[in-house]
Amino acid sequence: MSRGPFLLATGAGLVLAGLVHVATVLAIPRFAEGDAFSRAQASETLDHPLRIHGLTGEAPPQESWLPNPDPAVSVGVCSYDLDDGPMRVSAQAGSLMLSVSVHARRGAFYALTDQAAVRGGLDLVVMTRAQLDEALANDVAGEVTRDVRIVAPARRGFAVVRVIAALPSQRAVADAAVQAVACTIDSPAEPTEDGKG
Amino acid sequence: MDMQTPAGAGQGAETPARRAPRLGALLRGATSRSARVGLVVYALALGGVLGLVSADYATSGGYPFGGTPIGSWTAWPKAGAFDADPYARAVNARAGDIPLAVGEGMLLTAAADDSGRTLDATCTYKLSGITPPARAWTLTVTGRGKAEQAPMRDNFTSTEILRDADGQFAILLSPEVQPGNWLPMPRPRGPVRLALRLYDTPVAASVSSLERDSLPAIERVGCAR
Repeated sequence: MSRGPFLLATGAGLVLAGLVHVATVLAIPRFAEGDAFSRAQASETLDHPLRIHGLTGEAPPQESWLPNPDPAVSVGVCSYDLDDGPMRVSAQAGSLMLSVSVHARRGAFYALTDQAAVRGGLDLVVMTRAQLDEALANDVAGEVTRDVRIVAPARRGFAVVRVIAALPSQRAVADAAVQAVACTIDSPAEPTEDGKG
Repeated sequence: MDMQTPAGAGQGAETPARRAPRLGALLRGATSRSARVGLVVYALALGGVLGLVSADYATSGGYPFGGTPIGSWTAWPKAGAFDADPYARAVNARAGDIPLAVGEGMLLTAAADDSGRTLDATCTYKLSGITPPARAWTLTVTGRGKAEQAPMRDNFTSTEILRDADGQFAILLSPEVQPGNWLPMPRPRGPVRLALRLYDTPVAASVSSLERDSLPAIERVGCAR
């Protein structure tokens, strides 16, 4: 006789559990404080990647947070806020394999390796749609830009630079190659200046 | 459980003779209301606790699903992608991990050998064969928890490997010293996991086309004790 309401309550509880489960899983990335997006913000003021997994020497523990890093790969992050302007990641293709991936909070939306380098240099510009339109309008006719221009799905995110040390003797070179990458904010006037000069 | 309380309360209220019917009705109303409230509280508590515990269980540790099994290996091409499933994103957010993007490379993991037995730190395994096309790959072995002392080697890169004349290789994962490519066990006992990371590989975009033979076989050679 009393089983009916009890079963109804249990059923309602299970349905609610499903809703809570889905809502929690969807909310975790948004409210996480230890995720890569939040931790990468520490690199906002730097003009080179913040090394989060080095191969030589001991990195400060708050900067080496990767749970399962590849022991042969040096990793650095650059965070960006496109409200300040497009972010330019400039790397020189060296002897070691280098890859750059661009992440928003949801995940990676673009990646390329040093095989895409033009004349030994890799220039990746992350921008909003409006900034891309502006850059296209400022392009000098007949001149080919070697920038790889990416429209970001969100205003904030981070770029990850990975350099692989295939041999232990290349570890110092790999760390230096990550440090040598430049992450700078493109001022809107710069592309036209470059085009004229 | 809910029906016992009104019975007990009713007996206690019957002692004052005249007011008993009214008081009894009032009490019955109150108890049936409190029983209803109790059921609602029970449903809310069940939903909240079960939902939170299951969400915590699903997002702590590894990815609950989304991998592509290839033999004893599991490929995770989408773990870091923009269109990754919500569970993978929650797992990454909790761990602070930055998985490889599709254009960068791909992660493959193995927790069992080719006959399905969990990789054990007291056993010796032979990894042999070929790897899918990639500019570089690394093989890493990890145990659970922190090691008492850092292992002298926990990974191989594709450049470091000694190869046969035909380009094939064999890596011996063992607690004992082995000739050739010896990868020491990171722990004295317990389960271990292998991670094969392919860098700059074309197969990340077409994992389903990978054959079992295109990945190293994991064969148990023997076990101590």
